[in-house]
Amino acid sequence: MILVFFHSVKLSSYQLVVPVLAAIACVYAWNLVLRQKKTIWEAILWTIFWGFIGVIAVYPGIISYLSAVTGIADQENAVLVTFLGILSFIVFYLVIRLEELEQRHTKIVRALALREAGLEKNDR
Amino acid sequence: MIVAVIPALNEASRIARVIRDAKRYADAVVVVDDGSTDETATVAGREGARVIRHIQNGGAGAATMTGIEAARALDATIIITLDADGQHDPSDIPLLLKPVQEGRADIVFANRFGQRNKIPWIRRIANSLGNAVTFLSTGRWVPDSQCGFKVFGPKAVWQVDLRMSGFEFCSEIVRESVRNGWRVVDIPTRVLYSEYTLAKGQSFANGIRTAFKILLRSFLR
Repeated sequence: MILVFFHSVKLSSYQLVVPVLAAIACVYAWNLVLRQKKTIWEAILWTIFWGFIGVIAVYPGIISYLSAVTGIADQENAVLVTFLGILSFIVFYLVIRLEELEQRHTKIVRALALREAGLEKNDR
Repeated sequence: MIVAVIPALNEASRIARVIRDAKRYADAVVVVDDGSTDETATVAGREGARVIRHIQNGGAGAATMTGIEAARALDATIIITLDADGQHDPSDIPLLLKPVQEGRADIVFANRFGQRNKIPWIRRIANSLGNAVTFLSTGRWVPDSQCGFKVFGPKAVWQVDLRMSGFEFCSEIVRESVRNGWRVVDIPTRVLYSEYTLAKGQSFANGIRTAFKILLRSFLR
């Protein structure tokens, strides 16, 4: 039945893949909530974000307003904006990696400080 | 056992009084010297505090978590966290301890804006921004989320896990309260601002940077 729906509305492969990826991202977020690694609030924000991405993929017409406002009217602009998006993602990724390194460094400094003070980690 | 945790960076001129005040209400005082270049550690040791020394400056969040781990190793059941610059009135400690000792709260936040304190307007704006960003990223409204004066009850003592090193740890504590389902109480407290404490506090630009990191972290976590 789902296949009949997709066939009837004539979706491109992009329009099929992106909503599936968005759904997986949402399921992953709520799975983290169940494992108490993410709060419900963060999962809601995550769901809104990926829901928006999924809806835009299926109904690209709804961002025509955005297109008018930003001036992304032709393909050259779209390519430029896409690459800016990719660069932003890379910057975010690097920020997160740097934070992880900072956390590792902090853990080493902390372990040394506690050991020096004779207060080893107490995992009750 | 009640343990006071005081993260400190270059507070040699202030730390002695803060330790003496904290000792009136806590069974032990832990001072985390976060890479100070002055005599903070020496003064703290002389006042009878348990001193933990970071070999390098890690930030307020890193120092607070080190203090919490030290308090756990000392078998703390309640932890009081205090700023080392003496801006908190120690006579407020019993007020903050009460909800935890009565079993009504897992964490108690001091609220510097809950009564008539002389707080500069730029500080009020920065704190309001901090509260708003904390609410956006955690979904919980805390009237003074960025205050370092807190009391952790037994449940919070063993569950808290701070990963953020800088001042954003205050918002992370609010997140921990949501994630672990802690009962939260906030108590209006006095604040003793001076030129010294105002000069040592977070700048507005630093507050913006902190807000950005909180939002980024909460989204990509």
